Amino acid sequence: MPRSALATVRSRSVFAPLDPGGRAGTVARRLAQAITLGLLLDGECLPAEAELAGQFGVSPVTLREALAMLRDMGLVETRRGRQGGSFIRAPDQAQAGYLEPQLRLLSLHELQDIGDHRAAVAGAAARLASQRALDGDMHTLREHVARLRGAATLTERRRADARIHIEIAAAAQSPRLTRQEMDLWSEVGDLVWLPVTGNLVATVTAEHEALVDAIGQGDPDRARWLAEQHVLAETQRLIQRRLRMDQP
Amino acid sequence: MSEGAALLAGLTGRIGQVLGRVEELGVAAESAARAARAGCRELRRADFTVLRPLAADLLREQAGLVAGTGVVLAPDVAADAPRCIEWWWADAAARISRLRVDTDPGSAGCYDYTTTEWYREPERTGRAAVAGPYVDFICTREYTFTLAVPVHDAGRFLGVAGADILAGQIERLMLPGLAGLGRVAVLVSGRGRVIASNSASIRPGTVLRGPHRPPGLVPVAGLGGLLPWTLLSAS
Repeated sequence: MPRSALATVRSRSVFAPLDPGGRAGTVARRLAQAITLGLLLDGECLPAEAELAGQFGVSPVTLREALAMLRDMGLVETRRGRQGGSFIRAPDQAQAGYLEPQLRLLSLHELQDIGDHRAAVAGAAARLASQRALDGDMHTLREHVARLRGAATLTERRRADARIHIEIAAAAQSPRLTRQEMDLWSEVGDLVWLPVTGNLVATVTAEHEALVDAIGQGDPDRARWLAEQHVLAETQRLIQRRLRMDQP
Repeated sequence: MSEGAALLAGLTGRIGQVLGRVEELGVAAESAARAARAGCRELRRADFTVLRPLAADLLREQAGLVAGTGVVLAPDVAADAPRCIEWWWADAAARISRLRVDTDPGSAGCYDYTTTEWYREPERTGRAAVAGPYVDFICTREYTFTLAVPVHDAGRFLGVAGADILAGQIERLMLPGLAGLGRVAVLVSGRGRVIASNSASIRPGTVLRGPHRPPGLVPVAGLGGLLPWTLLSAS
């Protein structure tokens, strides 16, 4: 590559704007993730606006914009008066009504990128787990697959699904892969089951069963392949759903 | 005593210190429960905040080895917290914080600890257990052992008192001794998981069992009871 071309590629990635989607959107997304992961609990009061703006390094105007987005998603409630402030409203159910606006915050390329990252992590974790899982690890994994099979709501499915992937990374004996799975699930985990309805529920559940079976059989290549295919299919569904949002 | 047995004895000594402290924590939890029962009161989360100074002492005394400690109650033992974790950890500046975990069974981020080895074993056997090594994705977020003792009141299982021990610290304690043996030596858990090894081709976290056990490695020393670990070495 000629020197100038390399310089261009480099400057594009290094000196690209930090958050092309807008700073308020970034702040809103970060807080929404913390709420869905349970890091911010229902009823909890957020710090004062000025303090919070300082922590995020944004202006008070940007922060208020972010809070307005969260209010629209139903994740934050602002009360006036002496006992006032912004309070967390953690949803009991991951409902389409609040997931759709979350999905809208992501571009197709972001969804693709997250999918690629997830496939890399899930594939590597599955391969290592198939070599390192003990009977106890398999028992735990199968328990969570059974929970997924018995799940009746979107929230239950999402919880069981996240746990299966995190437990696979844990069975790989890798704290780093496990932390990556947790971070990824906190970022996009709620969305994964949004486009899964009808017959698809059984299909996606069966994908998890096949993956855990391959790990239990100690088949590293098959485990990796199944994990990657599973994440690819999920990414495909999310991109389709996101596309539909902008169709007239 | 063989060199290998001496190595393991040193390790047992260190873990024994932690066990002693965790047992004190368990006894304090049991007296909190007894006091509530004597006063005909329901047990509440606040009854266990008295454990904080003991936990802080443990974290200070065992700094570097113990990453977190506290009690975890069985479901519905505390009237005001169906799943109750009173657990403390020290940050790099030795500040003690209480672990905040979402244990509300109705919420999406909920952590169900009743399925973990460190909770199930003491519940099942009524005795102290060391679970791991495992990836602890709730508290330490590291490769961890959890030492746990059962807590009882009037014959009822109330939960466990425990301490998280970082696997990396156990490896650091063992490595100089293993390296000094002058031949391949591997410490494995009761389930065959490598805890520490002096060979670059046998790595921590992998399983040495059945077909995966390199020929020529034989048990040279073992520990029973709390630490069912075995030292394998080239014969």
